[in-house]
Amino acid sequence: MRIIDVHTHPVFRGLSLFGKPTSLNRVIAHGRRHNIVHMIVLGDVLLYGATPNAEQLRKINNDTIRVVKARPDYFTGFIYLNPLLGERANMAEAERCLAVPGFRGIKLEIANNSSHPAMRHVAKVARTFNLPVLQHSWSTTNIKDRQHQSDPADTALFARRNPDVKVIMAHLTGIGFRGVLEAKGLPNLYIDTSGGYPEEYLIEFAAEHIGADHVLYGSDLPIRENSCTIGRILDTKLSAADKQKMLFGNTARLLNLNLN
Amino acid sequence: MQLIDTNVNLGPWPFTPVPDRTGPELAAHLAASGVRRALVSHLGAVFQPEPMVTNRKLFAAVKKTAGLLPVPVINPALANWREQLAECLAAGPIRAVKIFPNYHNYSLGARKLDAFMAAIADAGLRLIVNVRLEDERHKYFALRIKGVPVKQMDAFLARNPKHHVLFSGIYKGEIDKLAPKYKNFSAEIAFCEITNVLEVMLRTFPARRLMLGTCTPLLSTRGNVDKLRCAHIPAGAKALIGADNARRFFKL
Repeated sequence: MRIIDVHTHPVFRGLSLFGKPTSLNRVIAHGRRHNIVHMIVLGDVLLYGATPNAEQLRKINNDTIRVVKARPDYFTGFIYLNPLLGERANMAEAERCLAVPGFRGIKLEIANNSSHPAMRHVAKVARTFNLPVLQHSWSTTNIKDRQHQSDPADTALFARRNPDVKVIMAHLTGIGFRGVLEAKGLPNLYIDTSGGYPEEYLIEFAAEHIGADHVLYGSDLPIRENSCTIGRILDTKLSAADKQKMLFGNTARLLNLNLN
Repeated sequence: MQLIDTNVNLGPWPFTPVPDRTGPELAAHLAASGVRRALVSHLGAVFQPEPMVTNRKLFAAVKKTAGLLPVPVINPALANWREQLAECLAAGPIRAVKIFPNYHNYSLGARKLDAFMAAIADAGLRLIVNVRLEDERHKYFALRIKGVPVKQMDAFLARNPKHHVLFSGIYKGEIDKLAPKYKNFSAEIAFCEITNVLEVMLRTFPARRLMLGTCTPLLSTRGNVDKLRCAHIPAGAKALIGADNARRFFKL
C-alpha cells in the first residue's frame, strides 16, 4: 500500500538521526522502506523557539526550499508562518516561498493559540493562495500553556471562523477523544495521525466521528517511528479502502498531488 | 520471527474504550500481529486496594489459553504482601511478578522493598517494574499519577545490584540516563520512540537487554510489533529483542 506522510521534519537540528548535515537520500531510503512514496516537509519549526521573527522564518523556510528543490519528486513543502508578524510579513513570506514550485500548504506551530485574532492574517494568506493550514494542536487539559498551545477546541474554532479554508488539526493522539469530537461536523477540518504513542482505538474513533475521508496519515518524523505510526492504522478493523484513504488518498486529494 | 510480548494486559481500562478481552480473544488478537507467547497481567490490579482479586481473575482467564503466561501484580506496600506472593506461587506456575510503584503509592527506592526483593529471589522469580502505562500528557484529567521517576529507578538499581529487573513502559530518554551507570536492568520497548528507534538505541544499549513489549491493549499491538519487525537492525539483534532475551530471562 502506497503511503504519503503529511507531517515530517526531515530537517530537525535537535536530532541528528540522519547524520549531519541531514542527508535527503537517507531520509528517502528510510521512507521507501516503509512504502512512503511522498513526504510533506513542515520545517524545523522550533529551531528559534515558539515565536520566530521574520528573518528566522525565512531561514527555516529556506531549509524547506532546499529540500523541495533537491527532490521535488519526493518532498512537498508547507510554508512556516507566524501569525503574530501580521498580514504584510506573512503574505510576503508566502509569496517568496510560492515562487518555488512544490509548496502546497501552510504550517503553524505554537507562536500563538489558534483562536488568536492574528490568525486572520494566516486565513487571508490561505484564502489568497488556496492553501490548507496545518495547525499544531494538543489537548490543554494537562498542558496548561494555552497562550501558545492550541487546544483542539481552538483549532476547531479557527476552522469554523474560516469555512472556506481547509484546516489540518495535527496530532490525533495529542488531541485525544475530546479533540475528535471538537472536529466533528466541520467539513473543512481534517485530523492528522502524527504525534504521541499509538494509543489504541483512537483511529477507529476518529473514523467513526469525522469520517475516514478526514483522517490523514502523519508520523512527526524524526520524533516518531514510521513503522509504529503506520502499524497503528493497519492494526485497526477499518476496511482496506478506509486505510488506503488515510494512508494515501486523502492527502493526495487535499493537496492535489499527482503521484502516479 | 518468533515473538514474545513482555507487556500485555487483560481487563478494562476506566479512561479509554479499549477492548476488554477474554483469554482466547487476547491470544487471537496477539497472534494477528505474530505474537504467540505473552506475559500477561490484569489492569484491574492497578486500581484495586489489594491486587489479589484481579490476580485471581488473571489466573482463571489464562489458565486454558496456550501462550498466555500470567504475571500477577504484587503490592509490596501492603502488610499482606507475603500472602499475595504465596497465593500467586500456589496458583502458578509463574515466572515473574509485576509492581506498580506509582499507582500503588510507594517509592521504588524505599528500603521496605528489600525484604520483598529477597523473597522473590528466593522464589526464583523475575521482577517487572512498570514505569508507566500512559503518556502523562494524555491521562484522564483527574488522574495525577506520573511515571516512576528516574531518581527512584536509579536508587533501586543501586540498592539491588544482584537483581536484574525488567523496566516496562520506560522512555528511551530514561534508559539513556540509567544505562551508563547500571547493567542490572533490561527494558521493553513499548514507550521507546523516535525514528529508527532500535537502530539508534543499539548504538549505546545492548540488544541482549531489550525485549519486545506492546502495552496491549492501551497501545496498538501491531504498531509496537512493527517497530521491531521493520527495524533496520541485524537479524540477530531482532531475534534477541523479539524472543530470545525473554526466553532466557524468564526461563521460558
